[in-house]
Amino acid sequence: MFVQLLFLLSASLTIGCAIAVAVTKNIMHSCIFLLGSLIGIAGLYATLGADFVAVTQIMVYVGGIVILMLFAVMLTGGKDFVSRAQNLLGLAPSMGNKWTYGVGLSVGLVFLLTNVKLILSISEYFPEKKFGNEFPSTVTQIGHLLVKDHVLAFELSSVLLLGALVGAAIIARPRKQ
Amino acid sequence: MNQTLVSYLSQYEFFDVLLSLFGKNEGLLAFTIYLVFAGIIVGLCATIGGLGTYAERKISADIQQRIGPNRVGPYGILQFLADGVKMITKEDIMPFTADKFLFYLAPMLALIGVFSTLAVLPWSNGFIMADLNVGIFYLIAISSLVGVSVFLGGYASNSKWSMLGGLRGASQIISYEIPVTISILSITLLAGGMSFGTILGQQEGAPVHWFLFHNPFAFIAFFVYFVGALAETNRAPFDLPEAESELVSGYHTEYTGMRFGFFALAEYIEVFVVCGVGSALFLGGGNLPFSTTFDIIPLQLVQVVIFMTKTLLLYYVVIWVRWTFPRLRVDQLMSICWKYLTPIAIFNLVGNAVWVVVFHGKSIAELLSGGH
Repeated sequence: MFVQLLFLLSASLTIGCAIAVAVTKNIMHSCIFLLGSLIGIAGLYATLGADFVAVTQIMVYVGGIVILMLFAVMLTGGKDFVSRAQNLLGLAPSMGNKWTYGVGLSVGLVFLLTNVKLILSISEYFPEKKFGNEFPSTVTQIGHLLVKDHVLAFELSSVLLLGALVGAAIIARPRKQ
Repeated sequence: MNQTLVSYLSQYEFFDVLLSLFGKNEGLLAFTIYLVFAGIIVGLCATIGGLGTYAERKISADIQQRIGPNRVGPYGILQFLADGVKMITKEDIMPFTADKFLFYLAPMLALIGVFSTLAVLPWSNGFIMADLNVGIFYLIAISSLVGVSVFLGGYASNSKWSMLGGLRGASQIISYEIPVTISILSITLLAGGMSFGTILGQQEGAPVHWFLFHNPFAFIAFFVYFVGALAETNRAPFDLPEAESELVSGYHTEYTGMRFGFFALAEYIEVFVVCGVGSALFLGGGNLPFSTTFDIIPLQLVQVVIFMTKTLLLYYVVIWVRWTFPRLRVDQLMSICWKYLTPIAIFNLVGNAVWVVVFHGKSIAELLSGGH
């Protein structure tokens, strides 16, 4: 009961903030709504019993990505980006004409139908799957998997990140005249 | 499994009495217990935050050979209540050009971020709201909301001082998160788990079992953690975001009344939380100086007192440092973080890993006493 309530809260936070991100005209406000949406997703993970993933979600997105986005928005002008243009319905900032909206709508429809198909088949495989009321420790399992089964992917991604770090340092380095 | 306060209390007999009072509704009882204890802890921490401002003034007065606040109550100890009343009754001014939504949101985010960390703070090995498997990781993650709030407070005020303070604050907080997190990681490595229960369980007994004296690398890690934590909470000598001689008051320049009070309260409680984490990770937390299997509520209260003593001693050191060291420059701040603390922290992490492999995770004391 309590877990279901938390799930509903997280889900409504995620969806509500995601809608707010799309319809807000101020780009800084969109960033903050995105923060709420990402926290809601962390809540969804937590109610499904994936505590480590939930905390990592908060750590990476709230602590890193959103602050980075706020920095980026501010360095490029911030609130001057309030859009005055209107779209077809006069709701959101204008981002295209009726052709782009038409294409977007049809693609979205295809995605929706595929997802419905997928989710229906999942409910057939796990007919009585409930929300995780027991929370076994996922930290140890993730650790074992990372250094045993997925060690190659783990090492490759860390080399990639190190490369990105070194590249950023080289780009940002003051050039000699 | 995750230990919680409710699962701890359920081993006592009075839990059954309470359960029958609630008509055998376990969920409702658990919710009520959490609610009551959350109220107690938030109230306690708000008081500690308030007393922190008083302690700050009194200790600074001692260091500068003044008397300090002495009018309200005995020794001026009620000064923080008077300040609180003053802040609540003050006019709530908002700059005309401020971003209203973000301006209101920023102090709330600061308080939410700080109060959320209290959920995993171990007052004793039984009195801990939720001993999550990812406890210390959760604490690091959720406290990054404070960084967002500092940035937003600076941005939303639409003032140059606030803007500079907010930018400095955000960059400082994300930079110093790295050495702090790596130092904490080396302790997780020694303890073999991220929950506070595991970490405290490894440090039971005499002070030689504390992680501070576990090995030389852990000893250095404590100081890296402490310096990094000072910077993360914007305390002097790293208080550049609110440097009063150059930025008026930094990111909360434009805030008045209780909204300013929220920022100040969040800062003082964050210092307390950071000191508490330091005492739990390195100084044995609330563990009794002897090992016992005997477990009753009064003994838990003794543990709470021990934890508070260690934490408040660290709190004293934080204030002491503030009033004895001059403030750094911005470039010195960044070079200390990236050129000194981060390499030292990484060196500590590698050293701890090697130590765990070579000596099978035994501490110096265990090796000296020849224990196998």
